[in-house]
Amino acid sequence: MQSMRRKPVTVLTAAAAVAALALVGACSSGGSGGGSSTASSGTYTWWDPYPQHDKNSDWEQRAQRCGEDAGVTIQRTAYDTTALTNQALLSAQEGTSPDIILLDNPAVSTLADTGMLTTTEELGLDTSEIDENLLAAGVVDGETYGVPIGANTLALYYNKAVLDAAGVDPSTLTDWDSLTAALQAVTDSGKKGITFAGIGTEEGSFQFLPWFWGAGADLTDLDSPEAVQALELWTGWVDAGYAPNSVIQNSQNTTWEEFLTGDFGFVENGTWQVNSAAEAGFETGVIQLPAMDGGVAPAPTGGEFIVAPVQQDTDRYDVTRQIVECMTTPEGFVDTANTFAYYIPPTEAGQEALLAEKPELETWVEAVRSAKGRTSDNLGTDYPMISEALWTAVQNALSGAQTPQDALAAAQTEAETATS
Amino acid sequence: MTTLPTAVGTRQSAGGSAGRAPAAPSGPRRRRGPNASQWAAVGFAAPLLVYLVVFYAYPLWRNIDLSLHDYTIRAFVQGDPEFVGLDNFADVFSSPLFGTALWNTAVFTLVSIAFQFTIGLALAVFFRTSFRLSGVLRALFLVPWLLPLIVSSSTWAWMLNSDNGIVNSVLGAFGIGQINWLTSPDTALLAVTIANIWLGIPFNLVILYSGLQNIPGDVYEAASLDGASAWRQFRSITLPLLRPVSAITILLGLIYTLKVVDVIWIMTTGGPANASTTFAVWSYREAFGTGQPDFSPAAAVGNILILVALVFGFLHLQLQRRQEAS
Amino acid sequence: MTSSRPWWKTALGVLFTAVMLFPVYWMANVSLTRTGDLRSDPPHWFPWNPTLEGYRAVIAQQLPALGTSMLVGLGCVVLTVLIAAPAGYSIALLRLRGRGPLNFLLLVAQMIPAVVMAMGFYAIYVRLGLLNTIPGLIVADSTVAVPFGVLLYTAFMSGIPRELLQAARVDGAGTWRTFTSIVLPISRNSTVTVSLFAFLWAWSDFIFASTLNRNGDLIPITLGIYHYIGNNTTQWNAIMATAVVASVPAAVLLVLAQRYVAAGVTAGAVKD
Repeated sequence: MQSMRRKPVTVLTAAAAVAALALVGACSSGGSGGGSSTASSGTYTWWDPYPQHDKNSDWEQRAQRCGEDAGVTIQRTAYDTTALTNQALLSAQEGTSPDIILLDNPAVSTLADTGMLTTTEELGLDTSEIDENLLAAGVVDGETYGVPIGANTLALYYNKAVLDAAGVDPSTLTDWDSLTAALQAVTDSGKKGITFAGIGTEEGSFQFLPWFWGAGADLTDLDSPEAVQALELWTGWVDAGYAPNSVIQNSQNTTWEEFLTGDFGFVENGTWQVNSAAEAGFETGVIQLPAMDGGVAPAPTGGEFIVAPVQQDTDRYDVTRQIVECMTTPEGFVDTANTFAYYIPPTEAGQEALLAEKPELETWVEAVRSAKGRTSDNLGTDYPMISEALWTAVQNALSGAQTPQDALAAAQTEAETATS
Repeated sequence: MTTLPTAVGTRQSAGGSAGRAPAAPSGPRRRRGPNASQWAAVGFAAPLLVYLVVFYAYPLWRNIDLSLHDYTIRAFVQGDPEFVGLDNFADVFSSPLFGTALWNTAVFTLVSIAFQFTIGLALAVFFRTSFRLSGVLRALFLVPWLLPLIVSSSTWAWMLNSDNGIVNSVLGAFGIGQINWLTSPDTALLAVTIANIWLGIPFNLVILYSGLQNIPGDVYEAASLDGASAWRQFRSITLPLLRPVSAITILLGLIYTLKVVDVIWIMTTGGPANASTTFAVWSYREAFGTGQPDFSPAAAVGNILILVALVFGFLHLQLQRRQEAS
Repeated sequence: MTSSRPWWKTALGVLFTAVMLFPVYWMANVSLTRTGDLRSDPPHWFPWNPTLEGYRAVIAQQLPALGTSMLVGLGCVVLTVLIAAPAGYSIALLRLRGRGPLNFLLLVAQMIPAVVMAMGFYAIYVRLGLLNTIPGLIVADSTVAVPFGVLLYTAFMSGIPRELLQAARVDGAGTWRTFTSIVLPISRNSTVTVSLFAFLWAWSDFIFASTLNRNGDLIPITLGIYHYIGNNTTQWNAIMATAVVASVPAAVLLVLAQRYVAAGVTAGAVKD
């Protein structure tokens, strides 16, 4: 009886102790917190989508050095890609935007549309050196809202041993027919042909676009015969068993894991896997994604832009510009490329500097030069809606819910309603 | 132990009429008007009331505000949205997705609850009397809850993968061909429901087990002395005495299941062909699933969900009243 | 206790647990698997060629985050119980006026999407300077558990025999004494249950932490996981290893809590 009475009291005491502890923890962490950019002028806030690089990483050091050169301290916060856009909107609404954001390129036009970003002109940045196809994602109605810190894109990795066993010579794969024939040869040899990401998110559209554009289709006309041919190419591969059924839910990361098992002939993947490909347990190679009737298909550009949100205190722009410039010198670009292993510099000087260090990236530099921004063609903020319609159609067709023709027709209707 | 019979007697009447007992004192008290005990009641509830006002009023208002305006992201940042009344709701109701989402939500929720509750109750009864290792095993049952949803959902997606998933691999050993769990419109909803049932079992087990513990063991002992079978005991003791707790478990389960996004989103993103799109997923997709956040329709769908939950809450209240009255 | 049953019951219990925990086993399996073997077809039942790469990364990087999560979880438990227990007492036993509408409000409160709640808290915390603080996160996380706690306490407390309360009143105990010396001890089970869920919800919260607590040096484990999710690459073995490592202290806590429930039951039996 007594012991029973006493126990709750012990619990309460313990509870009080914990509460006190929590408060202590709060006080000690409160000092270093305060994400608002207006907190102190000597601190510049910086958000990026690289949570894999922590406080002790080279990337953090790099950002800090650029801050030191401009005479300020940088407070860097890493978000995952989806959370970053949301947080940027939320902070803009509350007037607490950071000084610098590194932002996935299709999101630039979306944020620019809200009026929360400064133009490069306001900031005093010179963008004349940047490759036009790469800068395009940051251009809305003739104004430029940021600078790419690097670019990446897609190509076809292959497993040399698998191709050799199937008697396929990768250098002969220059159009869809020869590629499909190669997939058949690989499948007949007992291996799996190709894997790609058809997931119902932006990644799905990103992976489908090289085939879509490679057929000559246009994002403003989703159900053109060319578009249908591109989708039929994918559904044909899945139906014939050249590609596994799991492509419907595959993210790009999953496709890479599948490729690393050594069972697949090809995988559609990006610059960011260059290091991993070199470390794979088998010999790999890369070819450009072929267009339908031969030649190189334009692949979409990926990669982040460095943007500067609007501040109440416009005096801050001067230092912000210095930080951005520090990140975008040719040496800076090469530094970034080395940090991430997947960023091709967006300027010719930068590309040459990178190739001097790593000539093996030639294929990728070529791919980036012929790549195309997803929001270009002045699609801007219409792109996210079109893209959603597109990946939905891809999912519907791959899962057999609709024929490619019907799926794309529905997508076109949907896109028209959404963007009108 | 000699006092057992009387103890059972009082307990049984106390427990069995858990509803009747409170009704009795409330009668005279109500007539007396506000009195000391009402003030005490308010005093004890005060922290909660303050808490609700401070932390919920604004978000609730915000959710309604979002659904009645056209918040483009520009308007969201600039704070100058156009008032559109019920247009967002009209759009939602007339969307071709509405019927699909309604059906999916109903199936997902009801099937999840039915299985979670039944399995949870069965396990709670199983664990009621302690046996060797029972404490440890019961604790282990909660481990799924310790995992971040991104991990448990990804693990399920992994196991249900069409080509290299363990589930198909096992089924294949029994001669069952490849089932495209997550990639076929016919099975995607089933697949996410299975994963969600798994996630919900610990919740039901814990609450129901806790409810069983509040039923005095001597009631059962008396019943088994009377020669009642295990099934009779379950029917005539466990179920009735557990009714208030069961009701709240089911109600809360309903609410939490209606809200589920993570599991479905990570496993199928609501696809393929919207086969696993529920209202909650729809709302999430409008707001965050695309590059173009669309908060107003998302909030409208969210508010419809609140209304659905209110209907169930109302039913619960009616049930409670009826129970109190009887 | 009856001693004829334990054996088959234990065997059955182990079997059930094994089935239930299979996905957890699978997670542990993946945490030890090399990236190249992750998607092998057919899948490997055991990590044939195990790697501790994931665990090395976690031990090196995630231990402070575990501490933070623990602190937030416990803080959330305390806050939730402090608010929910008296409220449950008031609604269930003191028959608070307007408890019907209040119950309704609690239901509505739980239906507000977490994201909207997070936006609301962001707006409030920006003004109060509570962003990136542990108490801020504790309060935000508690909003998941408080309505639940109140409803659960209400459901359980309404089952408390009136005779006990009346006896206390006859003995001259006031409402406060009745609460602390009768209602709370009897409700020990409910308290453990509510605490358990308050802890678990805080432990697994992602949205609040992501919106409100990104910047601080003390980030919880759910954000720590994102250390292994790059914008194009995902390190699965490290993610799963984080989940395994993170579930160990929490599992220990659970076993202890279960012991406590068992103790409470025995004490309750003695009491009468």
